[in-house]
Amino acid sequence: MAAVPKVIPYSQVRHDLWRPLAGVSRRYVAVVSLLLAITLWGLFCWGYQLHQGIGVAGIRRPVFWGFYLVNFVFWIGISHAGTLISAILRLTEAQWRKPVTRAAEAITVFALMIGGMFPIIHLGRAWIFYWLIPYPNSRLLWPNFRSPLLWDLTAISTYLTGSTIYLFLPLIPDVAQLADHATGLRRRLYRALSLGWTGSDREWHALERAMKLMAAMILAVAVSVHTVVAWDFSMAIAPMWHSTIFGPYFVVGAIFSGIAALLLVMSFIRRAMHLEAYLTPHHFDNLAKLLLLMSLLWLYFSFAENLTVWYGNEPKEMNVFGARTRGTFSVYFWTMVFCNFVVPFVLLGIKRLRTIRTATIASIAVLIGMWLERYIIIVPTLAVTRLGAVSGSYSPTWVEISITTATFAVMALLYLLFAKVFPIVSVWEFEPHVAPED
Amino acid sequence: MYLKGDFQERGSVIEALRALQADGFRAADLDVFSAEPLELPHGVLDRRSHMSLTVVTGAVTLCLLTIGFVYFTQYNYPLTTGGMPIFSFWATGVIFYELTMLGGIVTTLACFLGESGILRRNRRMPVPVVTPGIISIRVRCREDDLDGASRCLDRAGANDISRIGEPL
Repeated sequence: MAAVPKVIPYSQVRHDLWRPLAGVSRRYVAVVSLLLAITLWGLFCWGYQLHQGIGVAGIRRPVFWGFYLVNFVFWIGISHAGTLISAILRLTEAQWRKPVTRAAEAITVFALMIGGMFPIIHLGRAWIFYWLIPYPNSRLLWPNFRSPLLWDLTAISTYLTGSTIYLFLPLIPDVAQLADHATGLRRRLYRALSLGWTGSDREWHALERAMKLMAAMILAVAVSVHTVVAWDFSMAIAPMWHSTIFGPYFVVGAIFSGIAALLLVMSFIRRAMHLEAYLTPHHFDNLAKLLLLMSLLWLYFSFAENLTVWYGNEPKEMNVFGARTRGTFSVYFWTMVFCNFVVPFVLLGIKRLRTIRTATIASIAVLIGMWLERYIIIVPTLAVTRLGAVSGSYSPTWVEISITTATFAVMALLYLLFAKVFPIVSVWEFEPHVAPED
Repeated sequence: MYLKGDFQERGSVIEALRALQADGFRAADLDVFSAEPLELPHGVLDRRSHMSLTVVTGAVTLCLLTIGFVYFTQYNYPLTTGGMPIFSFWATGVIFYELTMLGGIVTTLACFLGESGILRRNRRMPVPVVTPGIISIRVRCREDDLDGASRCLDRAGANDISRIGEPL
């Protein structure tokens, strides 16, 4: 007779998921300090750029868009991890999503905050950023609403607002329970955030309805945000940018990198917070399959994009195509293909090789590959100009590299702080369940 | 006056709610408290909601306001265009779309706060302490109805029945 599987009771679930909130280990302090130091260095570099001028960055005529815009597109893509994946899984009522959603939603909010900073950093004169916001003024000057810069502003603001609410709403029941058990400052914080939640059926009904509506809307917003980011490029009549498939191509890339980021974060929190019973191989396997699917979709879009350019043989486009695939940028291009297709295809496509470790390795490869993809899209088109006599090159300076590095540190720092204050796995959504065999 | 009954089984809660409603208690007088969402069958303590309609209304309202605002700003500065239209609907379509969604999102939050009762909570109303695994029913009743309510809760299998709050 088969043994009865062990069921983890609710009290154990709560204990396990609340445990990481208590206490601060030396290792945690060391990691947070390191990340804080890198963040401060990045802020110093930005301050230096503000003081000295945008000339300290490597962007030069004709390459006016460099690392900052690459990072902008990359982080906005990462932000699709959460809300999009979480919303799809919530709408389809996929039960396995429960331990995954909050980790994903938090990625979205933090990645958006970071990504949204880059257009401001890229502006150079960041202190006049408010000129983008329409406000009554004596000179009757209003922003140009036909500008893609304004599209970005509204799209990202909407997405950030929606994602923050989408993260906050399912957090309320958890913080209400935490408020009853916490003390001091934490108790006050949880009390304030719980909004006086009592657990009544009216509250649960309202929460469930609101979450369903939010999931539907956030899906539409998430798709539109990355489409708008793609249109920043495709609205320009520039070689290899002026493409009709850029919208869906960018959305696919965003979901692809988003899943990779989610897998990486899950792998980290599973190990660091000892959540092996909650983030099981089953979750990793499902997400790894999704990552593999997105890898194939990405390949399809990349192939379609490049094949049509090659077949069309339009000279200006072929110059950029040649620079990407055979010229200066070919190393980045083929590394991108290797990271985005070969690695996930081999590691995740062969069932025997598909484990948590290989999924993590594939995720890291995909993140590198997707960052390179953004670089490959942005820089060659600007470096290889329409006029043969004018060509440009781009090499990032220490300021750009430092700021880029700092953004990764900020992401990790925000995540670590969030995971120390709030349960990274939604407790109330978790029912008593069977413990995994491994 | 409020009466509270604690249950461990979802089925008993449904039975108690049905009995209470059959006994003349209105849905507005009944509340169920639990640490996790409780699925109740159709017809048992249905809560009316206008959230979907309100959200659509909020979204459409902000969309119209945005179109009006953009139209106003485009014509606010007397730019000479040689008779060409200055307001471009399609080129500003992204702005309208995003703010339509923003309207929907903000209205959803407002609806959640309104329908959940968080914004209009009576602080003097007693709230049972929610314990994981326990489902509490709170009945708002007069002194005369107390016995009837208590009987309904008891028959359905309540573990603990107690009075909470002040007399009405």
